[in-house]
Amino acid sequence: MSTITSLHSPFSFTLPAELVAKEPPEHRGIARDAVRLMVIDRSDYRIDHTLFYNIEKFLVPGDLMVFNTSRTLPASLVGYGKSGGPLVEVRLAEHLPDNSWLALLRCQQAVDPFSCGIHKGMQIKFDLGLVATVYEMYEPIKRLWKINFSKSGTELLELLYRIGQPIRYEYVSKPWDLDYYQTVYANDPGSAEMPSAGRPFTWKLLFHLKRIGIKMANISLHTSLSSYMDSALDQKHIASEEEFFVSSTTAEQINKTHGLGRRVIAVGTTVVRTLETAAADKKGNVKAGHGYTRLHITANHKLKTVDGLLTGLHEPEASHLDLLSAFLPAGRIHEAYKTAIQRKYLWHEFGDMNLIL
Amino acid sequence: MKRLARKYALITGGSQGLGRQLAITFVKEGAAGLCIVARRSEFLDEVRNTLVEINPDVKVITVSADLSRQEDIERVVAITLHDFKGRLDILVNNASTIGPSPMPYLLDYPLEDFRYVINTNLVAPFLLIKKLLPAMIENGGSIINVTSDAGAIGYPGWGAYGISKFGIEGMSQTWAAELEGSGIRVNYVDPGNMNTALHRAAEPDEDPRQWADPSEITNVFVYLASDESKDVNGKRFKAQEDTHHESDNSVKQPELAPKL
Repeated sequence: MSTITSLHSPFSFTLPAELVAKEPPEHRGIARDAVRLMVIDRSDYRIDHTLFYNIEKFLVPGDLMVFNTSRTLPASLVGYGKSGGPLVEVRLAEHLPDNSWLALLRCQQAVDPFSCGIHKGMQIKFDLGLVATVYEMYEPIKRLWKINFSKSGTELLELLYRIGQPIRYEYVSKPWDLDYYQTVYANDPGSAEMPSAGRPFTWKLLFHLKRIGIKMANISLHTSLSSYMDSALDQKHIASEEEFFVSSTTAEQINKTHGLGRRVIAVGTTVVRTLETAAADKKGNVKAGHGYTRLHITANHKLKTVDGLLTGLHEPEASHLDLLSAFLPAGRIHEAYKTAIQRKYLWHEFGDMNLIL
Repeated sequence: MKRLARKYALITGGSQGLGRQLAITFVKEGAAGLCIVARRSEFLDEVRNTLVEINPDVKVITVSADLSRQEDIERVVAITLHDFKGRLDILVNNASTIGPSPMPYLLDYPLEDFRYVINTNLVAPFLLIKKLLPAMIENGGSIINVTSDAGAIGYPGWGAYGISKFGIEGMSQTWAAELEGSGIRVNYVDPGNMNTALHRAAEPDEDPRQWADPSEITNVFVYLASDESKDVNGKRFKAQEDTHHESDNSVKQPELAPKL
């Protein structure tokens, strides 16, 4: 695998290929909560290195951790264009309010995976009688198409689980089962890709944190695709619409935590985007609700609802890095990432973690 | 108020025998939603119709699945969590397979059959509990595993089935210990001899009329599913004895295996 470099991002760095986590930690001989953890203090920029299961050392009773409980779908389906048409991989990105889906359509046998005659009105046939009709190109992100399935609701879900596979990227060493792409607390299915910041948590660790006074709350944001398989497009960091839910219980917990002067710590960038979208006022209170967000957070964004972030290590062009700059100056992130590379931290969904407090 | 008002339940092996009867009883006791899982889809429509006839407002999900397959379990979990909007109050791990009938001695047990029985009767409940825990952790919940007296003593000829039930009993105790204080309780019930297809297959030479009808033994399940038992965790129950007290685990000794 070649090295990954970004020359355009303020976070320009080279990620050595050997620092890509190709296997889940359980297949590297360690438990899921034994990945490494780099902790960056927002007040003095001190960096600590430890193992994830020691996270309690950096938390205090009364801290509220907010988790994204969305469950990963088997969101990759392979079908044929009708009447002997091309073989197409459909990567579901997002379920839209009008019951259509946004999807990346990749031709499997063409030299250019996006040039095999995909067009409006085209039908893609899958196993078990499922059919998708290509409705139109999604203007904000031209790699995505709006499609309509011949089934909906539970019937469609049933078929997705019978014929779909998890979305996997080329850097993984083998086609890991869907189970490896779930957090232990995953609940309502709907994410195209795993909200991976929560992956290192075990129930044992969650119970322990609860016992020592760490508070916990849940939101759900169904993640879209992290890559449109087009580096130029990926570098523009255009987010598609992502569906989220914030319950009244969670909103109350967050508002109470702020009221007590305690910290709200987001487990994952999806939680930051959800809570900042659901912000009710400048004091950091949030309102319960269900909606869609395209919020792209950068250094100019003044965070209102969250004080800390637990996240993975992100690729040079990833929009998540922009989001990190709302927590820390870009130079500090760059410095921390240089340290992580020197210390051979592992990147991506099966990799090591970064806590910013 | 009915004992299971506003509760959402999942029952495996719910198209026939004890599972079907539990579904009917749970709906009569006010359950708001039932997910019925069974291997054979042809029976599921009948159960759904029966349940909706009892209470037209009940939310019924039916899922055809082979619980020996991990991918089927993930599908069951996803559909349940989606349709019940991430909430589950009661999980009854009732589905069991007896294995080959007539039941061979363990000495003669084909490996593939052994694996199939263990996967269905033991691995599936483990995975269902693990994957459905997130839906129960917020509001608390009740997990009821169905065992057998073959899970407390090794009867000759009960091979993989008995071993899987030994496993269910140990697993129930371990889950109960690990979840103590979480609001989720795990108990296990020996329903005793019942006139069901499974039991008739296990003992084809016996007169099934001597065995209890599943409708006669549901009370302990309703008790464990309801909030009446919210402080009861890690206990073994015998459905055909005093239904509100845990059993003393005493079981009769089997006949000695003949020496070959």
